Amino acid sequence: MFEIRFHGRGGQGAVMAAQTIAEAAVNEGLEAQAFPHFGAERRGAPVMAFARIDTKKISVRTQVYVPDMLVVMDESLLDIEPVADGLKDTGSAVINTSSSPENIDLGKRVRCVTVDATTIALETLKAPIVNTAILGAMAKADPLVSLGSIKKAIISRFGEHLGEKAGALNAEAAQRAYEKAIIGESIAKRQQAKRSMWLPTWQDMPAGVALHPGEVGGMKVGPGSAVQVRTGTWRTRTPRYIEERCVRCVKCWFICPDAAIHRRKDDRIDIDYDHCKGCGICSTVCPARAIEMVRGARL
Amino acid sequence: MKVKVLSGDHAVAHAVKLCKVDVIPTYPITPQTLIIEKISDFIFDGEFDATFMHADSEHSAMSMAVGASATGVRTFTATASQGLALMHEMLYVAPQTRLPIVMANVNRSLGAGSGIWAEYNDSMPERESGWMQVYVEDCQEAMDAIIQAYRVAEDHRVMLPMMVCLDAFVLSHTVEKVLVPEQSEVDAFLPRFRPMNYLDTSNPKFINIAVSPAHSMEMRYQMDHLMRGVAPFIDEVDEEFSKMFGRRYGGVIEEYRMEDADYALMTLGTATSTARVAVDELRAEGRKVGLIKLRFMRPFPHERLRRALEHVKAFGVFDRSISMNGFGPVFTEARNSLYGTGVPVTDHIAGIGGRDLTVQMFKEMFQRIEDSVKGGGRDCYWHGLRGEQI
Repeated sequence: MFEIRFHGRGGQGAVMAAQTIAEAAVNEGLEAQAFPHFGAERRGAPVMAFARIDTKKISVRTQVYVPDMLVVMDESLLDIEPVADGLKDTGSAVINTSSSPENIDLGKRVRCVTVDATTIALETLKAPIVNTAILGAMAKADPLVSLGSIKKAIISRFGEHLGEKAGALNAEAAQRAYEKAIIGESIAKRQQAKRSMWLPTWQDMPAGVALHPGEVGGMKVGPGSAVQVRTGTWRTRTPRYIEERCVRCVKCWFICPDAAIHRRKDDRIDIDYDHCKGCGICSTVCPARAIEMVRGARL
Repeated sequence: MKVKVLSGDHAVAHAVKLCKVDVIPTYPITPQTLIIEKISDFIFDGEFDATFMHADSEHSAMSMAVGASATGVRTFTATASQGLALMHEMLYVAPQTRLPIVMANVNRSLGAGSGIWAEYNDSMPERESGWMQVYVEDCQEAMDAIIQAYRVAEDHRVMLPMMVCLDAFVLSHTVEKVLVPEQSEVDAFLPRFRPMNYLDTSNPKFINIAVSPAHSMEMRYQMDHLMRGVAPFIDEVDEEFSKMFGRRYGGVIEEYRMEDADYALMTLGTATSTARVAVDELRAEGRKVGLIKLRFMRPFPHERLRRALEHVKAFGVFDRSISMNGFGPVFTEARNSLYGTGVPVTDHIAGIGGRDLTVQMFKEMFQRIEDSVKGGGRDCYWHGLRGEQI
């Protein structure tokens, strides 16, 4: 059995990508299964989807913990989540990035295929929906499912949802990604992180449907609030504070919809990157251009 | 027959179209929204000639389904969790007025915590309502169960509504290979609906009248008697289905590797798929384990279960919901079935609120079942719980 795990952001089409590779496998006479993992159903929030392909009927329905193939649809996720956790040493990774494989630090050396799916999607589809380009790169990473079958599945699946023309354009995005994808090997500089976080036992849970309360700037905030939910992981562009330009008007502090800008005693600011979603309103309202938005999830 | 890659929700929608349902009153609630979305696409595209009605709530949707079915037309609706709860009142009208409505329910957890993920505490309480309930394992079965449901429900020996239950996300949003039958095959298997007791302007009458205590007890007994005798018809329809389509599900239960099994586990819904893998792996180690897939919660297959378990040393039941300070509902029913046989029965609660069910969890259940022969253990084990069970 061949297992694939997709890491993407809400809106990039990870679910459709998983469904399409399953359909492509069935087109080749194989058995397949694909399903999403739903967390926060928000554009930009990290999401996962899974696919399994086999020559016989697939029975197991558990999530994919030890994938043969890892697909990362937004390279900024590499810094946010332990995406390579469980990836087999003999497995492969497909990454949407403008870098080449030898610059991709997965924490382990595996066969790695990189493709600038965002640029291909913007040029071909005029939208940063990268799933079909990623599917083309997947065909290059592993010949399990051929590019021909993938394109056929894209035309059928996307054609049904979005019309014939969209189906053909998306198939073209896959073709271009297949041609442009670079095959290499990832590097192993970063510590292999485990996908495990501390969670309370049933005895540790407060009564009622509640999580533990938290504290922000000395102020008690309710459980289940942004203190526990690190909405900063949704960010794809990041504000940089240029302190010497700051005129201390605190407009950014006042306007931030997530209270992610903290005001110092001298009216200069600090940015709470755990909760900044990267909306850029602070940068827009700043009269002194003391906050600039930088592409990427981190500075 | 066409090979398609469909989600559980879309498989249900295709089945509804193939069954040539006449009236579909619905209110959209996630995660069953894809079912009615697809049905409305079929109707809008002119592929399916049915009356699609938007209700202002699930309570209204079920009321409209009752009204439509009472005029003698084939009726379908779909819901999930909170929606099913809101239908609760009207749910009871359908079986008592003998209306063979078929409804898909996407199982998800009910109440505070607002979980949208798989759990059976939405549909399990409705086993008291008089609806038949089937729990399906994969997308193919989701489709086939709808087709079988109309055949069973509309049989004049039955005339009861049926709820086809599928797990939220694990099935509703999972795509798989599905063999979609030809319209002619479904037409040959499922004849046009012949209503038994319906509203007809040329022959006016009342149905669903208010009755006094002088009548209601007999009406309830009638329902109980009817439900107790329904299981053989379900087995019969499955048999005929297999002749037409080449697939069978075993009727009210399916036995998997139960030949010579000493220890058996019963599962329902998608848990069965992953449990099959655990059984295969344990069998490969030489352990004599087997699996029973419970398909129908109503009618509950007491007789067939007793027969299937005649030779086992111990039995365990998987439950994806819990009655507080009681047990899982499936366990309660199953232990009643086995009362007096002396076979130790244990309850295995897992997958609550959509917690991922792993092969390892099912292996742990089998270990507990084996150990139960020695005695001294618990009646009920929670699997995958953080913190020790006390």
